[in-house]
Amino acid sequence: MRFRFPASLALAACTLMSFSAPKPPIRAAEAPVTWSRQIVPIVYHNCAACHHPGGAGPFSLLSYADARRRGQQILDVTQSRYMPPWLPAHGYGDFAGERRLSDEDLALIRKWVESGMAEGNPAEAPAEPHYDATWQMGKPDLILSIERPYTLSASGADVFRNFVLPYPLAQTNFIRAMEIRPGTPQAVHHSNVLIDRTASYRGDHPADWKDGIPGMELELDGGNTFDPDSHFLFWKPDTPVLAEPSGMPWRLDPGNDLILNMHLKPSGKPETIDAQIGLYFDDKPATSHPMLLQLDDDRDLDIPAGDRNFVVHDELTLPVDVDVLGIYPHAHYLGHVLEGWAILPNGQKKWLIRIPGWDIDRQSVYRYRTPVFLPRGSVLHMHYVYDNSAQNIHNPNSPPIRVRAGNRSVDEMAHLWVQVLPVNVPKGSPDPRLLLEQAWMEHRVRVQPGDSIALYNLASAEAGLGEDAQAADTYRAILRDHPNDARTLNSLGAVLDKSGEAPGAEQSFRHALAVEPEACDPRFNLASLELIRSQFRDADRDFRALLEHCPNDPAAHNGLGLALAGEGDNASAESEFKAALALDPRNFTAQYHLGEIAIALGRPQDAIDPLSAAASENPGDVDTRERLALAFAQAARPDDALNQLREAEHLAPNNAEPHALLSQVLAAAGRLQEAIDEQTQALRLEPQDADGWNNLGVLEARNGKPDAARVDFEHALQLAPDDAQARANLAQLPPH
Amino acid sequence: MALPAWLLLLSCLPAAALAAQPFGVDLNGRPIDRLAPPGSPAIVLFFAASDCPISNRYVPEIERLEREFTPAGVHFWWVYPNPEDTSEVVRRHQEQFGIRGDVVRDTEQRLTAMARVTVTPEVAVFVPAGTTLREVYRGRIDDRYISLGQERPSAQRHDLENALHALLANHPIPLPGGPPVGCSIVPRSEP
Repeated sequence: MRFRFPASLALAACTLMSFSAPKPPIRAAEAPVTWSRQIVPIVYHNCAACHHPGGAGPFSLLSYADARRRGQQILDVTQSRYMPPWLPAHGYGDFAGERRLSDEDLALIRKWVESGMAEGNPAEAPAEPHYDATWQMGKPDLILSIERPYTLSASGADVFRNFVLPYPLAQTNFIRAMEIRPGTPQAVHHSNVLIDRTASYRGDHPADWKDGIPGMELELDGGNTFDPDSHFLFWKPDTPVLAEPSGMPWRLDPGNDLILNMHLKPSGKPETIDAQIGLYFDDKPATSHPMLLQLDDDRDLDIPAGDRNFVVHDELTLPVDVDVLGIYPHAHYLGHVLEGWAILPNGQKKWLIRIPGWDIDRQSVYRYRTPVFLPRGSVLHMHYVYDNSAQNIHNPNSPPIRVRAGNRSVDEMAHLWVQVLPVNVPKGSPDPRLLLEQAWMEHRVRVQPGDSIALYNLASAEAGLGEDAQAADTYRAILRDHPNDARTLNSLGAVLDKSGEAPGAEQSFRHALAVEPEACDPRFNLASLELIRSQFRDADRDFRALLEHCPNDPAAHNGLGLALAGEGDNASAESEFKAALALDPRNFTAQYHLGEIAIALGRPQDAIDPLSAAASENPGDVDTRERLALAFAQAARPDDALNQLREAEHLAPNNAEPHALLSQVLAAAGRLQEAIDEQTQALRLEPQDADGWNNLGVLEARNGKPDAARVDFEHALQLAPDDAQARANLAQLPPH
Repeated sequence: MALPAWLLLLSCLPAAALAAQPFGVDLNGRPIDRLAPPGSPAIVLFFAASDCPISNRYVPEIERLEREFTPAGVHFWWVYPNPEDTSEVVRRHQEQFGIRGDVVRDTEQRLTAMARVTVTPEVAVFVPAGTTLREVYRGRIDDRYISLGQERPSAQRHDLENALHALLANHPIPLPGGPPVGCSIVPRSEP
């Protein structure tokens, strides 16, 4: 339908328009655009990180002569926004280090090139940035290298390869910064570093891990402790050093592996990939614990050949308040439009990222300039569009074919990782990461009920939150589909054990062992259960079986030591505790029990060293102080014994035992009145202790106060009428 | 409709007269006066730059084509037009990439002008015609790169290879299916 306006009206409108149009401002002749004044700051800020001698970019742009020679190309690639590389659309998330030229910058570059690329006054130019060919932050605390250099062939399709770098140290370290030196920056598109807590990837590829293993994605076994991935360890050529915010280092434990997942691009000649990872240690562990959440919809990826608009979606409701720190969208070659956003509880839509023209070659992690706060109840959304037509020039299949999810480059992926830091955590509430894990896994189980990994993680989160009955149910749900999954059986046993259902726990451990007789965890748990039930022979047998298959475990040696001690074989027990200490010189349990055995064997002198070590390892442990005091007392060092007991008293002022022990040591030293005071103190804290009253009576009698002693013995007999000792003592008192 | 080869040749770009001046210099600085050995049916000029990643990525492909067409007498030249590519730089580049073919340093950019190429990598194919060289193909090697930032995982259309097959079979030479993509050739003279 068309509307007609009377001609006069239209004219009037035009006239009005022309009157209201702003007049162009009158300006003085514009200053010329020169390299030194306007262009250098743009280039140094946006281009030089790669375009410097030896950098990842093909040529240097540091000098005027360099830039002038490339002027036309600089103009072309900046106007088309091919350079600098930056995928996210402006205004859909405010990212740190945004490599996007403003329209003003683009206009300046155009003007400079078109006006003949004047240099201007070099004195006006800022100082040239300095790029060091060595480590950017100085010598790292630890440098890891890939086991064998990899030769990337001169031509062919891009290569995705995973290199394993075992963490070689025997101590835990906290990593505040990491630098990757790929060896050949121009052949490395990007790298991801993953922490393999259980060295599972190496274990899965025993024969070839040293050469690197092909593959775009990989799955790692996180082990049995809740220890979620927390950091994006992503590297691309313009971010040589990955420094974490203060208080947020990541952790490496003995036995961990780093997996360097590299995207390599043949350069035209064979390239040697000899990557190194430099790690910089923090002296303190993390005080803030972020977590990586993953939205994904791989299950729905089944893209018909030729489909230009295939959409997948995922969402996740946040159970806690979070700050979003960073985001990492990921698809392969068919990804076209990648979007992430949050819907706040008030209905407001908050964009997290929008990539209108995905390009796997330019993938990156994006960190927010300031954290994006999302209140509890916000819903994270992932919305990806794929183009599986021949028009998508990235399409690896020609002609296009049906494509599903997978980890080869011809397969697809739909992942959106979000790094969140829980905030506003109420005092006394559980670890908010467990709540995030629970919400995330519940969601995954909802969309894919048979997802046994999600169920397992859910159960572990429930167990971590103390919802043991719920966790047991969830483990049982896995066992319905996988009745012989040894790990699930073991975890079910552990959670049953924790909730006091020892028979069920034992059955579960035994079932796991029937499936996998050499499995370490269920054997350890079964043996520990037997130990607690004082089934020392059984525990002895199972700890020995454990050590046969899983040697070098100090806890297993300690367990065997306790079983042997329980069987009365203190000498053998002693050598087990020594074996534990050889593996872990600071092992508290081994030190404590070595001391205890020495006392039991009548060698108090030998108990002093291990117990002192145990006390310094665990200074707040009252029991250790008391044993140490006993050792000192028996070794005729009453003053040292008194010191330890006073320390114990100080640690546990409401505990009667240190007072009672103090009383005995003081009595032995002949300090009867002090001994009586301490025993009185002990009985004030524990008035039902018949032995205590008897002891007090003895002290009073020795102190020449038979009347007071009589009252005490009678008190003891009132509490324990069959107390023969108290009765005998009473009888020995002089009659009234 | 297939045109007879002669008609196509005539309709091609204006013939370049064999220059009285040398085309360029070899790695020892000696002038190169002749590009086509006697009896050669065609010469291929591959314009390369030692510091251009896309140009470098085509080295194996050019070597493949050189191996394929040398037995038919086609002569390949590795032409370095950029001022940064001094003898020393080119020599190192050849060594690093294992290039064994003949090299011209286009010190005056006469070949660049004659072939009317603008980027590296780009190729021009000439056929000798009496005392002149006729350009029968100019442009991209294949369709791996659509534009800067738009790259196929592998080429689907091998334009240069198709052109050489057509030439040797005396068939009409197909035009490249798209523009060459790479790094602008750096002007020798002040712009």
